[in-house]
Amino acid sequence: MTPLQNKVAELFENGTISLMIGYKNAINKLAVPCFIDHATQVEQLIYTPECKGNLSVYLHKAEIKQAKKIGILANIATLRSLVQLTSENQLSDIEKTVITINAQNEVLVFDNMEKVEEYVQANFPEYTEEDKKLLEQLNSMTRAERWQYWSEQFAACVKCYACRAVCPMCYCSSCTVECNQPQWIKVSSETTGNLEWHTMRAMHLAGRCINCGECGRICPVGIPVHLLTAQMNLDIEKEFGSKTGFSCNSGYALNTFKPEDKEQFIK
Amino acid sequence: MEIKNIKLSQLPAFFDQLIKSGKVVIAPVMKKSGKVFFERVQSYSQVATDYIQTGFSAKSVVFPKVEVLFSFNKTDDGIDIKDSITDIPETIVWGLRPCDGSAFNYMTEFFLKENPDVYYAARKAKTTLIAISCAKADDACFCTSVGLTPGSTEGSDLLLTTMGEDVYVEVITEKGKAAIDLSASLFSVNEERSKEKYLAKIDTKFSLTEIKERIKTAYDSAEWKNESMGCFGCGACAFSCPTCTCFDIQDEGTQNKGQRLRCWDACGFGQFTKHASGHNPKTNQTQRRRQRLMHKFQYSVENLGIVSCVGCGRCIRVCPAHLNIFENILSVTQ
Amino acid sequence: MSEQFEPKIVAFVCNWCTYAGADLAGTSRTKYATNVSIIRFPCTGRIDFMLLMKAFENGADGIIVSGCHPNDCHYTSGNFHARRRWIVFRSLLDFMGFDTDRITFSWVSAAEGAKWAGLVDETTQRIREKGAFTDFKKLDCSTFEKISHDAITE
Ligand code: SF4
Ligand code: SF4
Ligand code: SF4
Ligand code: SF4
Ligand code: SF4
Repeated sequence: MTPLQNKVAELFENGTISLMIGYKNAINKLAVPCFIDHATQVEQLIYTPECKGNLSVYLHKAEIKQAKKIGILANIATLRSLVQLTSENQLSDIEKTVITINAQNEVLVFDNMEKVEEYVQANFPEYTEEDKKLLEQLNSMTRAERWQYWSEQFAACVKCYACRAVCPMCYCSSCTVECNQPQWIKVSSETTGNLEWHTMRAMHLAGRCINCGECGRICPVGIPVHLLTAQMNLDIEKEFGSKTGFSCNSGYALNTFKPEDKEQFIK
Repeated sequence: MEIKNIKLSQLPAFFDQLIKSGKVVIAPVMKKSGKVFFERVQSYSQVATDYIQTGFSAKSVVFPKVEVLFSFNKTDDGIDIKDSITDIPETIVWGLRPCDGSAFNYMTEFFLKENPDVYYAARKAKTTLIAISCAKADDACFCTSVGLTPGSTEGSDLLLTTMGEDVYVEVITEKGKAAIDLSASLFSVNEERSKEKYLAKIDTKFSLTEIKERIKTAYDSAEWKNESMGCFGCGACAFSCPTCTCFDIQDEGTQNKGQRLRCWDACGFGQFTKHASGHNPKTNQTQRRRQRLMHKFQYSVENLGIVSCVGCGRCIRVCPAHLNIFENILSVTQ
Repeated sequence: MSEQFEPKIVAFVCNWCTYAGADLAGTSRTKYATNVSIIRFPCTGRIDFMLLMKAFENGADGIIVSGCHPNDCHYTSGNFHARRRWIVFRSLLDFMGFDTDRITFSWVSAAEGAKWAGLVDETTQRIREKGAFTDFKKLDCSTFEKISHDAITE
């Protein structure tokens, strides 16, 4: 058994957790989420570079919440989302134990969010090289070229809403896209409607997205939707000095204000 | 069935004739993201040749993601109603896989058996399917478990199998014949032979007969919950599936101008079963995932006598949670 | 000579300051461009960015968003919240390549009837020079063909 499996077995045996959310092996070398409720099942658990999915999404599920004591295996992005979700008061009703594996391959167990926060702040991730490059490319385009770029991207969107489904910060019990009186976002997938959908999504996540990149990674048509919120987070940090998923008390940048906020464009 | 031969080096010439015929030609194209999608093409150089399976199926040719059923426009002289069924182009789909070809058989049954759907019928009548056998497969492919092979001819009009320098051509229907007649001189007579050694080897994951029997009692299996827990409830699996046919009718526009649309829908969405009253009989993702799998292996058998999963593996590759339909089916029928 | 293009301008304004300012412009019989349609909101904090998108979708060529000056909000902080949202919304639009010059953001108080009139004139002139807003309309035709797997519906 791996150190991770041992640790989780121990947590089951001493009653710390009654449900463990982790990853197990899937075909094509992928990692599929797994839900374990007994120490005898821990041998499925893996932790590989393929474990990119953000498991904190599952903490919003009613079936999961029923389990009183939840263990969750978290990569750094997941840890950040736990921090951000805590600051948005979304995790207060569950008792959770957070498990991560650090760069030295040690299994760390956090029994409270202060420790998670501390770890996140000490290991705060940067944007990936690929994302940095893409953002730089987009920012160096002319406005018209950017419009062209995004129009083409959005034209391919099929509105499967997988990007929303995998996002730990998209936890609304009823999303605006499902609102039909009035209807904000058309059900049909056509370009203006798709653009509105992505504008709305990006606005709802600006300053809340924790840059896990999962939405862009899983889009079936390969639209890098995560870049929108990635750029907004940079702007928000620049304008208002707040980072997402950094502190359990930071709240949400657009839910607050400072009288001295500056801008150049309001006449 | 007529068998023909064409030199591999002559395929582009054949393809050019298809383009020159003036029909809309849809073929797999490798996108910048590295994913392959069906798209309208103008020349053979755009066509992807090295791929296992397209991201989405070719069902959009007969069942577009958004289909205008009719549109209206209020003018000074009254209301002008336009039926969109009149401008459906003749279309050739190039390079779909044998599993996808057979998916068209299912769709035809579904849309045309009772209460024929005129839109589907019109599109299908104008579509020619040129399939290419699979020489490669990945771990998600499981056609051999659902009664097909990487060289199945079901549903396609023409099937091409590359055999070294030659391409073995099976002319399955009249439409297929019409397609090769466009460049008859490129094709020579050939005799029937086994394709076996040119096809991908795919292990069977389960015995279909057994699964069909066992799934009858699988509805109450406790495994559904476990197998579905990872499901996020998106539309990725249904939208990419060649046999998922659910749709949602939407009216868009104003009192002066508007259209009625048929849009893809997915049983994985939480709102899919929501009633006008607000009541939702399917309350969780376990029930929704079960619906999708039971539909493929049980309900479509009950209704149309066909297992409607063709084993293309798309839903497995595309699922953000990497859920695996054949593993799920195996475990709920244990 | 072709007729001069007259843009449609939609103004989203708050009830307490800008709407009153526009009213003042009217009662003082100040002349200003007639291109503007005013929509009154309780507060700038209520002006959802989606309303702006919908206005463009439904044929607006330009938009004015205006409310009470900072520190003058009837509800104390609605405009402060709105300001943050506008900053982010504007940079999102810019990142998506949308022409943000089609939107004028302003603070106009109940006493600034003349400022309001000038703002409308200036915006109308700017949009007149830019011409009609067609980006959304063009989207539907020009990019539709590129839609993978949907190319047939041209
Ligand atoms: S995952 Fe991709 S295709 Fe699906 S709704 Fe999001 S952007 Fe559109
Ligand atoms: S897109 Fe917006 S409304 Fe929809 S779930 Fe996400 S945050 Fe909520
Ligand atoms: S990167 Fe995407 S999935 Fe991750 S938090 Fe941000 S918006 Fe959500
Ligand atoms: S259910 Fe999955 S494997 Fe079966 S036909 Fe549909 S996409 Fe292919
Ligand atoms: S099985 Fe996967 S692709 Fe299908 S709805 Fe669930 S999460 Fe989405």
